[in-house]
Amino acid sequence: MSEATEMPREHELDTSWMDNMAEWGVSAKPGKRGLTLADIQVGSYGELPKVSDNMTGRPRGSTARPEAYRVGAYQVHTLSEIWLENAEYLYEEALQRQWSSATDIPWHTLKPLPDDVEEAECLLCTFFNEVEFVAGDVPARWIARTTPDYLEARNVLSAQVMDEARHMDVFRKRALANGGGLMRMSGATSGFVGSIDLARDFTEMSTRLHISGEGAVLTMFRMGELFGQNDAEKTMYRLCAQDEARHVAFGVMHLRCLSETAPERREEIECYLDEAEDQLMAGQQNPAGRQSESSEALAVLLGGGIEHYDEGHKKLLVIRRRQLKEYMKRVISAGFADRFENGRSPVPAQYAATA
Amino acid sequence: MVFPSEEWFQQVREVYNSDRDLHSGGGGACDTTAGFSVGENRYFIEFSGLDCAQVRQCSEEDLEVTDFVLEMPLETWQAMLEDVQKNGKASSNLTLNSIDLELEEGIAFSPVDDQYRQDLFYRYNQNFQDFFDASSRVETTFESQGN
Ligand SMILES: [Fe+2]
Ligand SMILES: [Fe+2]
Repeated sequence: MSEATEMPREHELDTSWMDNMAEWGVSAKPGKRGLTLADIQVGSYGELPKVSDNMTGRPRGSTARPEAYRVGAYQVHTLSEIWLENAEYLYEEALQRQWSSATDIPWHTLKPLPDDVEEAECLLCTFFNEVEFVAGDVPARWIARTTPDYLEARNVLSAQVMDEARHMDVFRKRALANGGGLMRMSGATSGFVGSIDLARDFTEMSTRLHISGEGAVLTMFRMGELFGQNDAEKTMYRLCAQDEARHVAFGVMHLRCLSETAPERREEIECYLDEAEDQLMAGQQNPAGRQSESSEALAVLLGGGIEHYDEGHKKLLVIRRRQLKEYMKRVISAGFADRFENGRSPVPAQYAATA
Repeated sequence: MVFPSEEWFQQVREVYNSDRDLHSGGGGACDTTAGFSVGENRYFIEFSGLDCAQVRQCSEEDLEVTDFVLEMPLETWQAMLEDVQKNGKASSNLTLNSIDLELEEGIAFSPVDDQYRQDLFYRYNQNFQDFFDASSRVETTFESQGN
């Protein structure tokens, strides 16, 4: 059964639907990037309600239908909860910067590697394979919980889900393409990484996922150019890092927007940051953090073999230092500098200890 | 063409803009401005969509409005470009990203110390790499060679 109005098989032509138009006479003009989401934010179609009472999935700006069902009691329905200044731009950027894990990675450059190096790479690929599932699943849940009135932010998250699917598949492809295979799962998804999915609030989730989790992963992917053993691996990590930087940008811009438009929530956000710093940044579930199977694998790759483990471990400490520094600077950029000056955050001390 | 010089950057820009084959996967549209600090010289570059919209010599002050600046010793610039000349593109240890990671403080910084803007170097890394890789088609000599 459908709520859509059904027409009798034979009926008088009734064009009263023509009267139910919303704002008419709109002529959005393409800009230099084509017709983007920003270009169609015109007139009433560009008006973002501060609080959305849309429970029917009505496209923003269209005329309401009184008999429409309530298809969603959207949990995220106030603008400050999810908004960011450049949502339209990030979405278009994601569309225009897609790449193919099948054809944009020079897979032909893979060459047989010594067993210890292949095993270390495969362990890392198994770890990333697991983590990328979480990075896709979690935003996907929040898309459905967000009012369609905030379609731009939803679309950025949809694009992220596509990116994460590609990351998941590219690490899987690498593990299965060079004589190795997947290894025992790391279990990372039952710790901090898994806890991202337990967030009850969008910003709580975004702080954990975009700022702490993906910020740390971004540094590791960039390091992939150091520990990758061939052009295929280096390209794979570099292209993943670009996507990751976009996901991190969502988190930073959202947090910045929230702290400016809903200052009453700042103390709550500080608590989310406390939690994230106690866990991920402290090293749990973070291969560049405390000692774990995946951190050993990273050190083997960075050293170029198990016999150069110590050398690799030293490079790992440099990654760790970068992670901590960039994390702090992102949180500062998002408007939360105080915590690093007033002693609230443990990260400055951790950073100093890596010197 | 002598590196560093405005003419050299202009020539690379022309090559980069004229052949889409030089734009690799993941190097799609982007909008950003950046600076290059090469010895005593400063250059300003702007990417707009799929093109390098402009590149020119500039002053230290001009760099302040850029999203990020890439700064490395003259020898490192030269080593990077010689490698591009030799291999047709940067080999793995001499990509911008690798050089950034090998140096303790990195090569990219935001003039206003905003990590969000510095992150654009990571977000658009492929475009910058493709740009410098395009210099493989520009015959290059270096100031230090007395040209
Ligand atoms: Fe990812
Ligand atoms: Fe991500």
